Formats: sequence, C-alpha cells, structure tokens
Amino acid sequence: MLRRALLPALGWLSLTCAAAAQTLNFPPLSGRVVDEAGILDASTRDGLTQTLADLEQKTTDQLVVVTLRSLQGTSIEDYGYQLGRAWQIGQKDKNNGVLLIVAPNERKVRIEVGYGLEGELTDAVSKLIIENSILPRFKVSDYAGGIKRGVEDIVQVLSGDAQEWQDRAAERVSLDDAVSPDQAVWPLIMVVLGGVAFLLFCAIWGGFVCRAILQYVIFVMLSSGRDSSRQGSFGGGGSFSGGGGSFGGGGASGSW
Amino acid sequence: MMHRSAQCSWRAGIVLLVPLLALFLSGCGINNIPTYEEQAKAKWSEVQNQYQRRADLIPNLVETVKGYAQQEKSVLEGVTEARAKATSIQVSADTITDPEAFKKFQDAQAQLTGALGRLLAVSENYPDLKSNQNFLALQSQLEGTENRIAVARRDYIEAVRVYNTELRTFPGVIWASTLYKSDKPMQEFTVAEDLKQPPQVKF
Repeated sequence: MLRRALLPALGWLSLTCAAAAQTLNFPPLSGRVVDEAGILDASTRDGLTQTLADLEQKTTDQLVVVTLRSLQGTSIEDYGYQLGRAWQIGQKDKNNGVLLIVAPNERKVRIEVGYGLEGELTDAVSKLIIENSILPRFKVSDYAGGIKRGVEDIVQVLSGDAQEWQDRAAERVSLDDAVSPDQAVWPLIMVVLGGVAFLLFCAIWGGFVCRAILQYVIFVMLSSGRDSSRQGSFGGGGSFSGGGGSFGGGGASGSW
Repeated sequence: MMHRSAQCSWRAGIVLLVPLLALFLSGCGINNIPTYEEQAKAKWSEVQNQYQRRADLIPNLVETVKGYAQQEKSVLEGVTEARAKATSIQVSADTITDPEAFKKFQDAQAQLTGALGRLLAVSENYPDLKSNQNFLALQSQLEGTENRIAVARRDYIEAVRVYNTELRTFPGVIWASTLYKSDKPMQEFTVAEDLKQPPQVKF
C-alpha cells in the first residue's frame, strides 16, 4: 500500500522539480513601470505611470512598461508572453493587457499584446510603432524618449474615439460591481459543508478508509496549492496588480 | 432493541453515503479525464487556427514578392506548393489521437515553415521590396503568426502532457481502464519546426 502511494508522489515531485528548473525568473510587478534595468529616471517613471493609470481609467486596458536586465538566454518573444501570463496583465474577461518590454543588454524591444487587443493593436501596427517611434531614439541611446514616444503611440491606438472610451468606462463600472461578496462566500460554504459531511462519515465508518481518504485529500490540496495563482484586481492609488488577463504571442519585436 | 438501533444507524449511514460517494468520486478525479481531454482539444483547435491564419496570409505575401522578385521563381513556387499541400490535409479532432495523421500534418506544416523561411531570406536581397509598406506589414503579420503558432503549440503540448499523465497515473488510471476505455493518449509535436529546417541565408 505504502509503495503504491509512494510512486505517484515521487513522480509528482520530480515533475514539479523539472518544471521549476525550466521556468524563467520574472521581476516583481512593482508598479505600472518596472525598471529592472535602471534606464529611466524618477520623473520619467512618474510621468509614464500617470499616463498608464489614465489609460486604464479610460479604457480598462492595462499597459505596463518593463525594462529587463537579462532575457535569461531565451528570446524576447518567449520571455514576453510568459511574463504577461505570470503577471496577469489585463482584465480577466477581456485579456486586454499590453507589455512594452525593453532589454537594453540584448538590444531588443517588444510590444506584447494580450488576446483581447490583438484586433486593435495588430502585429503590423505594433511593428510600425517600434520601427518609427522607438528604435530611432534607442539607436542614439535615448531610452526614456523612445519609451515615452512608444507609450504615447500605443495609448493613442488603444484610446480610439471618445464614444468608445465612454462605452468602456460604463463597462468598467459594471465590472467593479460584478465581484460581489456573495459569490466569494459560496465556495467556502461548500468546503465547510463538505468537511462536516466528511467528519460525520468518519464517525460512522471510522478507521482505515477514513485515514486513506484524508491522506489523499491532503495530497491533492498540496499539489493544487502550487498552481493557484494570485487573482489581482486593479487598485487605485499606489498599489497595482494584474487583472487576470492572458497572452498568446501577439505583437511585434525589433532590435537596434 | 439492540438489533433495531443497529439497523437504524446502518440506514442513516447509507443515506449519508450516497451523496458523499458522488462527492468523493469527483474528488478522486472521475471528471479529470474528460476535462483534460476537452482542454487539450481546445488547445489543439488554437494550433489549427493559427496554422490556418498563416496559410491565409501566404497568397498575399507571394503576390507582393512576385512584383519585385520575379526571378525567384523556384522559391515562390516552393511556398505555393507547400501551402497547397498543407491545406489539403484534412484535420479533425481525431487527428491528435492518430499518430500517422498527426505526423503527416506536422511534416506538411514543417515543410511550409521551411519554404517560407527561404522566401523571407531571399527577399532580403531586394531593397525595393524590403521598403515596400505592404510587404513590411505582411512580414510583421507573418512573424506574429509564427510566434502565435509557437505559443499555441507549447500550450497544446502542456495540455496533452497533463491529459496523458492523467491516463497513466493514479487515480486517473482507474477511470481510464474502466469508464473511459476508448480514450487514447494524444500526440505531441516531436521536434521544434524551426530547429528542423534552419532558414538558409545566402550572401
């Protein structure tokens, strides 16, 4: 019995270890501008943060600027979509996140577009923004200027016309309302009821069966606890987190 | 008296047991195999979707390149042929459990990837073509699609890994050998296409 339980447990362990070895390290999502490479001064960062916060206010689109010290040996395309997924940029039901990624050491830049914005910020448009607005400035080492211009262009594309802003603002309000406390409580009630029922079952049957099931439940909880990731909401003021959006490799890259 | 109360608690036990059994069975992953199967199938349709998108972009690209580089006839024909071959293969949800059909699909797409790589490499030699806005737009769309294909393939491989693992590990193996006997392991992409045929750059 012990041996049969040990084998899958070992298999599971080695699988998680293998997966952990392959994953990239992502910088923490400290704000709308994550300057890991340290190429932006404080005033530029503040200005960009304000622009990006305004964009989300108007359209719910989340645009995040990130500069990286290293791509850790992979391509910027590979790093980009994984970073977007890890940070969950964009609203959960709209996948409307965008990343502007700059890797100055590898001389690579990329606009990573979430599933929901691929129709607006198309690959071709992203490429144009990179070629025309960002790269000419990066070539003369004006990183702040290139990033600012790139962000302006992306914001312009995403903002669309005034009517669309208003529609989206209305949607945003309903989005805020949608997460009511009732919904959050239900799973909890289910779990508690299930636990009580289980204890009753144990009281009647007792012994070996109970212990085996309990062990299995603990095993499952341990393994699923790994996968569950943080579900952020967009906060006002200083704190910022991804809304649960996902990415599928849309966008364009360039190098200088 | 004793006999009666024992019977009573038995009955209570059975009444409690029925809903609990349902709860535990779902806790034991009785639903996992169909769930993972559907997830993998969804990822597969995304892979197909992106390959289709690539195929849709190609006629336009070929036309644009033709206007500037007519002498590259063999390369252009190679792309057109590879595209025709790739789109002629009938693909369905069953393809993923059929090793032969899957290999055919994969090979045809790999061939198209190689032909496209040659076309893009050749277009480097034509400055007029390279500065053509239409070509630039098509090129960036094609690059984006190739990247989406890579992401879709990786998502599919991961979903298949989860599904195949569930078929072969405890407790999934119990359900696989009883309730879901007809469920077969799914195929994974073997070699990364881009590694198979590196684009040739001539100077």
